[in-house]
This record gives sequence, C-alpha cells and structure tokens, in this order.
Amino acid sequence: MQCVLLGAVTELRATTHTIEFPYTRTLGPVIGSFFTGLRDRRILGIRAGDRVLVPPLEYDPETGDALKPDFVEVGPAGTVTSWSWVTKPTRKHPLDRPFGFALIRLDGADTAMVHAVDAGSIDRMQTGMRVTPRWRDERKGRIDDIECFVPEGGAA
Amino acid sequence: MAALKDVAIIGYAQARNERQAQATEVQFLFPVINEALEMSKIPRREIGFTCAGSCDYLSGQTFAFVMNLEAVGAWPPISESHVEMDGAWALYEAWVRLQHEDIDTALVFGSGKSSPGNPAEIYPLQMDPYTLTPLGFDPVSSAAIQARALLDAGKVTERQMAEIAARSRRDAMKNPYAQVTGEFDVDELLAQPYVTAPLRKHDLPPISDGACAVVLATGDKAREVCERPAWIRGIDHRIEAHQPGMRDLTTSRSTRLAGEAAGVGSAPIEVAELSATFTHQEPILREALGLGDQVAINPSGGALSANPVMAVGLARIAEAAKQIVEGGRRRTLGHATSGMCLQQNLVCVLEGEQ
Amino acid sequence: MTDTAGNATTTSGDEPVTMMEYFMQLEYSDVVSAPVMRFRDALMDARLIAQQCPKCKLVYVPPKGYCPIDTVELDERNEIQLADRGVVTNYTVVTPVQYYGQKETEPFVRASILLDPPGGMLILQDVLDIPVAEVRAGMRVEAVWAPKGERDVDEIGNRSGSALEGSLRGFRPTGEPDMPAEAFSDKVW
Ligand SMILES: [Zn+2]
Repeated sequence: MQCVLLGAVTELRATTHTIEFPYTRTLGPVIGSFFTGLRDRRILGIRAGDRVLVPPLEYDPETGDALKPDFVEVGPAGTVTSWSWVTKPTRKHPLDRPFGFALIRLDGADTAMVHAVDAGSIDRMQTGMRVTPRWRDERKGRIDDIECFVPEGGAA
Repeated sequence: MAALKDVAIIGYAQARNERQAQATEVQFLFPVINEALEMSKIPRREIGFTCAGSCDYLSGQTFAFVMNLEAVGAWPPISESHVEMDGAWALYEAWVRLQHEDIDTALVFGSGKSSPGNPAEIYPLQMDPYTLTPLGFDPVSSAAIQARALLDAGKVTERQMAEIAARSRRDAMKNPYAQVTGEFDVDELLAQPYVTAPLRKHDLPPISDGACAVVLATGDKAREVCERPAWIRGIDHRIEAHQPGMRDLTTSRSTRLAGEAAGVGSAPIEVAELSATFTHQEPILREALGLGDQVAINPSGGALSANPVMAVGLARIAEAAKQIVEGGRRRTLGHATSGMCLQQNLVCVLEGEQ
Repeated sequence: MTDTAGNATTTSGDEPVTMMEYFMQLEYSDVVSAPVMRFRDALMDARLIAQQCPKCKLVYVPPKGYCPIDTVELDERNEIQLADRGVVTNYTVVTPVQYYGQKETEPFVRASILLDPPGGMLILQDVLDIPVAEVRAGMRVEAVWAPKGERDVDEIGNRSGSALEGSLRGFRPTGEPDMPAEAFSDKVW
C-alpha cells in the first residue's frame, strides 16, 4: 500500500491496495471440450435443436433444457455482427493497442461469440466484415488461445 | 395465487452523488437512512425487516455489506438480509417478505462507492468466467456493441443518443442529488471524439458514489402514517442469457416480460424512471415497455446524470414514488437493470389513490 | 510452470483440458475519511485518539464518524485522547499457513488491548519483547512508538485501522503485576 496526495486544495489523501485471488476452475464436459478444441486449433459449437451455439453452453438458453454433448466444428473464420472500437485498452484487455471488441458469428454457428479484432484502425472495422483467428503458438486450453481475430485476407 | 398484500412506499431519501466521496460508504449511508426513516414516521426499532443491496467488489473489502449495517442500527439484532445486487432487488425481497403478513414495515437500501476501483477492470469479473472475463470484456465495450447493433438496425441515431444525454443533463439541473447537470448543445456533444466507438463520453454514465433508502409499509399502516402512499401495483424481474451473442441486443425481452407481469400496459403511465445507464438503452427500454411520447422519461435526469451502482435502480423507484407522493401523479414506473447490455431487468409499477 | 501473470501453463498434448486458472487482480485507491485523517495526524505525534458516543459512552478507536449502536453521527466534538498503555484482554498465536500472499513465516501474536481510562480497545496488536508462549490475558502493556522522524502513517486508510506498525510498533510488557484476566473476558473487540 502507499499514499498519494490527491490535490493540495482539498488535501484528500488516498491509500492504495491490491486484492488478488488465484482461481482454479473446473471446466466440466462442455467448456472442457471447447477449450480442448482451442488448444488443438479447433473451434467447437454444441447442437441445440437445429441450431449450433458458440461458445457452447451446457443448456439451451431458449428453453433451459440440458444439451447433449453433441459437438460440431465451426469456423475458424466468421462474420462480425456488431462491434465497438476500444481506443484506450486496459491492462486486462487482450491487446495493448486500439482494437475492436466484436460479436463474431463463426461459419456454421447460429450465435455470435465475443472476441477482439486486431484491425489496426477503426476504418477497417465494419459490420459484416470477415475475420479469422490468430492462434497463439503456445496454447493452454483457454479462450485466449485465440490471441484475437484479424480481417480475412490480411492482418492489420 | 392468493391475493397480494398491498405494499406502499412511504419514505425515501438519496445521497448527493459524488465522483469521489471522502466519506466512507457507511458515513454517507447514515443521513440517507435517517432521512428515509424520518419521512416514513416509522420508529427505527419498529421496522420489521431490513434488506440491503451492495457489492463488496466495488469497495474492494470483504464483508463491506456487513459494515453497511452499522448505518441501520442493528443492535440489538434486527431481522435483515442482503443481495449482491442493486437495491431495487432488495426492495423486491422486502416486498415478498411483507407478503407473509407477520410484519408491516420494511427498510430497503442500496449503496455503492465506485470511486476506489476501476469499473473497467471490476465488471469483467461478473461475466462468464471462461469466455468473457479472461478477455477483460468491460461494460463500456459491451454497451458499445449494443449501440452499434441498434445503429445498424436503424432504431436510433447518434444524434438521438446525444439528445437523450442533453435532455437528461438539463432535467438533472432540478435534481439536488445529480452529479452531471447543465445545458449542453447537441452539435457540440456530437463533435466530441468517441470513447469507445460508437459511444462518446455523454453516452456513458458518470462514476458515482451514492446511496438510496426506501421505507415500505403494508395497507393500513401505510395509510396511517402517509398522506399519499405510492402503492406498488406490480413488480417483476426477468433475466436473459449471459452470452451477449445469444440475444437480440436491439430489444429487451426480459424488460418486456417483466413489464407485462407488472401490469405496465393496463393503464397509462405518466412518468417512467428508467435505469438506462447508456443513452442508447433508453429507446430499447421505451419500446420494451410500450412507453409512448406522452410519458415523461427520467425527469430526475436518470442514470446518465448520476450512476451510484447498486443504488441507481432503487433511486429510479424512489424517484417514481416521489412523483406520486410529492408530485400528485397517478401512475408511474421505476426500472432497474443488472448485468451487461440490459441482461436482467426489474419493473415496478406505482400508483397513487385518486 | 507458470507464466508472468502466475497462471499455470500446460503444453499441448492429448489430455483433455479439464481445469482453467485465472489470476484475479484488482487495484483500489480509497480516499482517507476525515476521522481517520485526524487519527493519522495524532499517531504522528505518538498520540491515540478516539471518538466517544455521548449516549452509550462507547469509545471508537480508530474514530469512524458514528456510533452504530445509537445511530448517531460523531465528529471532532466527540473526540477524546486515549492512554497508550493498558491490559491484554485476549490474544491468539497465529502459526502462519503459507497460502498465496502470506508474508509471515514464524508464529506471531495478535492481542486485544483495553487501554487505561478513558478506555478504548485496540485489536490485532503485536506484543513485543516477550516470547510468544509467555503472552497472557491480564498482562499489563505499554505502547512502543516508532521514533519521531521514522513514523509513517501513509498505509493507514479507512479499512486498516488496526495495522498501525508504521507509527505504533506494538505493545510491550510494563512489568507491573497482572490484572485478573476474567475481569476482561467480555472485552475482545
Ligand atoms: Zn452510542
């Protein structure tokens, strides 16, 4: 902890502190399969009736019914269905330079997943754009095994 | 279902919202709870049930919610509960508790001191821990995606969003608790750069430290102490899927369902206080609740003029009650939301007697 | 093996992925409240101050601006000066478990100390100059202040009222005869 002077006029002082929790989570059969796929550079969706959900869930969000572990490979490319442009990334964001957070409907999926798009400039972002994943070399079985998506046909 | 017991709002108070309060959360809760109790004319020790809404992650202190009870007067021990949600959900729990008929009064409060932490880093922790939290997917980024979907669908324009901000800040000039107030020119607002496109600073809520308290009473008790109680005629809350890509972000199905269950459409609403913490969420909520142009929206300035997280929804209900108790209105509505992109929504319909 | 954020890593393999690590870290900067600011200023002068409720006479140290029993707000007018000696009313010996973030390695004492009149309880205090095994309830103690010039209250915020080491190092035995421990059995906080 340390103290910082917030301003001579008000003479407010603040103490700083950091809280840290190292979490270890079990993944279960659905997210576990999804993450195993990512480690192996494959993106898996789950069948819910005639739809394919990505990321896969244990249940159908429309009905609440449990889903059978019936996985189907989707993507890896997809279409941006909506997006934002982050000008000042936080230290928790996937990229340290301006990037787009986007909803991406992967080819073969009926729902969109959230991920970052490294487009270089907001001018390259648009709804309907095609994107493809940039995989990390060393993958751990996590959502950020995909470092980000990049515009199809050439990175920024 | 058995007939529901009549429950009314008979007292309310709010803290003046600040960007950074020097007072601790308990300290600024103190006068708010005292003021709400005084207004209700119910002696503190006669309150049958107390329910609070707050979030320990905001203050970064475990059991901060227990500390908050120090502002209530909890010794000798009282009957109380807590929700890690906006105080509007604490009000819902208190309303349910009052249906048991063994008590006739309840105190509800919500409080939050957002200034110590960084909302962009705290809120990703309430997301899906597998696929969203590790990406640091923050509320402004998710709201921006929702705004983009709305703009793409032609359901709102950036100018309309700026107009909502300007109207809210203008209305807030009459609200002593508001934080961001004043006359703003829409063209000048639109000339500002994006914070997270397509959202500009005026599309975002301020970061606020604040609190709200409400006192409830059942039928005869409410009539006994209050000249014009604000009767809760309907209250309901609904939730949608947590993955934003599995919902139509341009509509709010959960708000529509909650509104229907609360009986919004059964008679005209005069004033609606909506927890639209981003400008573009106001038209989504209006559409979901079927609120036409004749309905006054957020005369308090709403969440865009002060956003005391964990109290902002309860403050909407308090403002809607104030329109009946002090403003003589017949029928008003308070709305609260939780989660990202209006994931969960609560609707409370209030009525005054003719 | 772990990466820079402390996350355990797994190399690609044929085993299904069943677990996920996530290192949660949040930083806060909390403005020091007015009563705690005054408490800090007093510590710099090697003084302990508190607020006393005019109704129930309870003494709050550090001061917090209100009495939760009577729900009255307190301020400078309710401030009192405390003694810097008193009696150990209760204590525990903590044998540190080496969980993440633990800095202690040896058993240590955390004592509740009732200060001499006008009173006031300090909790979680270190007891110095005596083996851990010899600390006892009823033991008379006095404050060990950091030398003027070395005192530091920068770490004392609204939530760290008992962590005073930068100015008040702890308490040490005075050598006076013990007081009857059972007289203080209800004085822990
Ligand atoms: Zn007292």
